[in-house]
Amino acid sequence: MLLPVLLIVGWEVAAYLIDNPFILPSLTTVIPILLHPFSDEFTLGTGSLVDNAAVSLFRVGSGFALAAFVAIPLGIVMGRSAILNDFLDTAIELLRPIPPLAWVPLALAWFKIGLASMVFIIFIGAFFPILLNTIDGVKSIKRTWVELAMTLGAREADILGKVILHGAAPTIWTGLRVGFGIAWMCVVAAEWLPGTTIGLGYLILYAYNFGQTNVIIAGMVMIGVIGIVIDQIFKAGERRWFSWRALER
Amino acid sequence: MKKSLLVALAAIVVIALLVAFYTISPPHEEGTVSLIQARGTGPMPILLGTGQIDAYIAWQPTPEVAPLAGIGKVLLYSGDLPPKGKWTNHPCCVFSARQDTIAEHPDLVNAMSALTILSTEYVRENPDKSAEIVADWLAGKGNFTFGDISVSSVEVLRQAFPTVKFVNEPTEKWIEGNIEFVHALRALGVLTDSLANTTDEETIAILFDTGPYSQAKAMIDSGTIITPAPVGKEIGIGYLNSDHDAALFVAVKNWQYFNDQYGIALKPVGATTSRPEKAELMVNGQKVADVRLIPGDAGPQLMQLASTNAIQMAYVGNPPVIAAVDKGTPVKILLAINTEGSGVVVSNESPATDWESFVEWANARSAAGKPLVIAAPGKGSIQDVMIRYSLKESGLSVSEG
Repeated sequence: MLLPVLLIVGWEVAAYLIDNPFILPSLTTVIPILLHPFSDEFTLGTGSLVDNAAVSLFRVGSGFALAAFVAIPLGIVMGRSAILNDFLDTAIELLRPIPPLAWVPLALAWFKIGLASMVFIIFIGAFFPILLNTIDGVKSIKRTWVELAMTLGAREADILGKVILHGAAPTIWTGLRVGFGIAWMCVVAAEWLPGTTIGLGYLILYAYNFGQTNVIIAGMVMIGVIGIVIDQIFKAGERRWFSWRALER
Repeated sequence: MKKSLLVALAAIVVIALLVAFYTISPPHEEGTVSLIQARGTGPMPILLGTGQIDAYIAWQPTPEVAPLAGIGKVLLYSGDLPPKGKWTNHPCCVFSARQDTIAEHPDLVNAMSALTILSTEYVRENPDKSAEIVADWLAGKGNFTFGDISVSSVEVLRQAFPTVKFVNEPTEKWIEGNIEFVHALRALGVLTDSLANTTDEETIAILFDTGPYSQAKAMIDSGTIITPAPVGKEIGIGYLNSDHDAALFVAVKNWQYFNDQYGIALKPVGATTSRPEKAELMVNGQKVADVRLIPGDAGPQLMQLASTNAIQMAYVGNPPVIAAVDKGTPVKILLAINTEGSGVVVSNESPATDWESFVEWANARSAAGKPLVIAAPGKGSIQDVMIRYSLKESGLSVSEG
């Protein structure tokens, strides 16, 4: 707890010394916004902070769920099949470094104004970490496990369901955790698309139009706090379900 | 003999020309200013507040932000830019529509034009109430905060409102003003396709369709709006978050009034924020179309949406429409929604109090090797075109920052 307190004190001192709200607004103009998360008095007509966060979470959740839905099966297949892996790997490595923001013009042309184009941007962000972790998880399963199952008469379906999925689950989970983190980071890029008047990313960009640095920082704090909370949830899941990994050698 | 005479004659002519050239236009040190494009007006207060620019030109209410935040002062409003009288009532934002929409749904376009005219009339007659509605639309009537200073958005808008003229009629003079922008955009090298070499008459024929205005006006005068046939698909209407678009905001927020008074309304549906995203166009109590209201950062973005048919109509500045038409986007300018309504802001440190002293300041800074840096919202925007013209007119040359 010491570091956050020091940061806050340091911020306030710096804000006082710099004396320019555009560079560093005093926390006295930011904290009131954060203390009234249900009030729409401070958010330039976008609804309350909580409204904005809920809409953003829904969008990011949708894009993330879609990415997981596509990336996990694809990753398992690619992890199991060397031929398919070779076939797709170059294309994936080519697409992976392209930042979600670069997809904005195409997203708009392909999916039109509205939820679908925003979900696509978030999908792009979440897809690759989930896919790569899934492939990695499947590939790193010990050959002996699979061979043992086969000796015991398991069929491909059993191997997939009982050995591969279970064995790769911890790594896939890590992929989901990283994927959600990136998806959440994409919220500003996604909500930069036209066709919305609500969302934390939209709020930040809209406040920028009027030089409202305090609202921008409040929005950033909300994004940060929600990001931490969700990451903790993923970590808790990891501890609860995959603690066996530490025991395995 | 003949040859040497010719040489002597040529020498005399050359000397005479040189003398004439230097006496008519003596070489002088031309002052320079640096013009940077800020991508919209958003970054301007921050750039000025952190000393990175010396001045900016922007649409309202961004000029009012500087004095309220204590970072600058309004030098003058766009109608007063030099040369004197040149920019009085200069065209600004317009109501535009895709050609196929005009052809397929003429009654719908006429009805939207009528609502725009009625609403503009309301804005003119009720400036205080309208400023409040715009403040509600732009900021939920909340405060703008800059450090220790917190001002009500209603107050900001009330201050900005008198500097915008809300008019619709596509008069000859207004169309001429638009053509001025065509010339200016051509000079800037923005127009390269269908408007690159047209005569003014051809340009007018390509750019404008004033039919909907005349028909809307006739409907208003007769007291009945013709109910358009219901439109199956959602109609997208783009707009900018500026008080220039007050007519649209008032039409939506005050829909009940227009419904009761004139039988036409854009009724917001399921609005959770102060900027509704969806509305229904109601004419004579009948729902005509589902409407989606789409805010854009700036005009070019809206025109890009229009080019892919993602939106069918837009309230937008005239240069983006001109540039889009040049590149083949099938849109027409139907009517004005405002004239004037931009302002030039200078930093607190500036000694300038009017355009003359501003030019002196620019020359002094240029001579000192630290040319002024001025921000405009984007290349080819109204503000960019006007400030370039005025600087050039005052003997200053512009370098791209």
